[in-house]
Amino acid sequence: MLALDRVSKTYPNGVQALARFSAEIRQGEILAIIGGSGCGKSTLLRAIAGLDRASSGTVTLDSEAIASPHSKIGIIFQEPRLLPWLSVADNIGFGLADLPAAERREKVARALERVGLADKAQAWPRELSGGQAQRVAIARALVPQPEVLLLDEPFSALDAFTRRDLQDHLLDLWADTRPTLILVTHDVDEAVVLADRVLVMRPRPGRLFDQIEINLGRPRDRNSPLFENFKRSVLTSLDRSLDRSVPDRDATQGPGQAMWW
Amino acid sequence: MISDAPVLQQTSEPADRSAAPSRLSRYARPLLGVLLPLILAAGWELVVWFGWSNGRLVPPPSRVLAAIADLARSGELVRHIAATLWRVGLGFAFGVVAGTLLGAISGYWSLARRLLDPTVQALRAIPSLAWVPLFILWLGIFETSKIALIAVGVFFPVYLGVMGAILSVDRKIVEVGRTFRLSGFAMIRRILLPAVLPAYVVSLRVGLGLGWMFVVAAELIGASEGLGYLLLDGQQLGKPAQILAAIVIFAILGKLTDWLIEVGAAPFLRWQDAFGRAKET
Repeated sequence: MLALDRVSKTYPNGVQALARFSAEIRQGEILAIIGGSGCGKSTLLRAIAGLDRASSGTVTLDSEAIASPHSKIGIIFQEPRLLPWLSVADNIGFGLADLPAAERREKVARALERVGLADKAQAWPRELSGGQAQRVAIARALVPQPEVLLLDEPFSALDAFTRRDLQDHLLDLWADTRPTLILVTHDVDEAVVLADRVLVMRPRPGRLFDQIEINLGRPRDRNSPLFENFKRSVLTSLDRSLDRSVPDRDATQGPGQAMWW
Repeated sequence: MISDAPVLQQTSEPADRSAAPSRLSRYARPLLGVLLPLILAAGWELVVWFGWSNGRLVPPPSRVLAAIADLARSGELVRHIAATLWRVGLGFAFGVVAGTLLGAISGYWSLARRLLDPTVQALRAIPSLAWVPLFILWLGIFETSKIALIAVGVFFPVYLGVMGAILSVDRKIVEVGRTFRLSGFAMIRRILLPAVLPAYVVSLRVGLGLGWMFVVAAELIGASEGLGYLLLDGQQLGKPAQILAAIVIFAILGKLTDWLIEVGAAPFLRWQDAFGRAKET
């Protein structure tokens, strides 16, 4: 289990990006974090990844505190961030340097097969399309079999069609080993398609506003009325999170009491 | 069946057409580069041949070639080329080693940069030829001072190139290394070195160019052999053909050594997604 306990982050310039964010994420859960710009979504993700240290509060994975990048936590960024001097296969195998060559080759070959890029193994990253490059990035992050995979708006730079394709693909890959997925997004559709639970954050300073369980089986039909319902409730919550006149939900209150107005 | 035939013709024709120019351009493109000098040389040769100029101060290509042939026959040419190449080679090696080490240190540790860089930049502001009297006093008139001067010329572009390249490595790429828990030596070997390589090769080529410039300066000052000596000798004895011969050989050697670096680095830079490459393929 991944536990966030009152995680706060204040940047050296005085901007408080994140204020006392707490959450518990079950192993294998898919969690979407959504919110307006500047609500600290990416800051939160970077703290979980161990790339930045929280100013206060703790991030623990199976009761192990995370302060620097951890082998059980992988991350996929908004851009593929492939290393341009390595072939596609070597990029995917980048995190496997400690394994013997034969084992590494085998794992990379399987991952390439899995993301449907077996024919691109020896290609350079510059020869890939945006969608293909992001699939390589997904394979690179998944091949060391992390327990937690963080995704920072991973599909936001892609066209709608490729995005849908990759969302389905990601679920497919997730089913192999069922890692915990934490997905930061600003796309309500994406959050409802993928997540078991959606956390809505509100900005200045970034903090938790609301959470919505998506009780929908998989695969999810994007056109079903139930899907639309969940989308609408996430959208409504998102709208309220940006409305300054709405007070914060008190952390000590249960979900029912949050609706008192 | 009848309608198939024109379609087949249409599809095969453009393939042929695209193959022909690529074959042509493969051989024609390097030739294009020598076209202008060849025309100019041939033009001047004709001007002298027709007697419109006596060609005494600007000798025609035939006389320059004859001067080169004379020098080659007596074995002088090899001796001069060897002396110059030896000086450039040693000076380049020392300059590259020092520039790479200090540049890497300044680029990697910000404390070292604050400590070291202002001094290096101040030294860089001194015209390198101003060192000549001091180097001669310190190191003598022979080889050491010449090699030191060349090394100084090579050092600065390499130092600046390495430091600048390290400082401009993409933070996002470094972050990828961090998420895979690379640090220290592994980060340098797997992320920084490959990221820095293209800019490093450029700085080596700039450094080599300055090395060739400074070898002439060094050899003009006092030498009994070397291509720079041939220049001076040609001036003092009024032999313009010999001067031009030395200049032509400088041009050939400079281009050749630059090409060696380019070819040597090419296998490591095949991944580059560059403007120039896109136009060539």
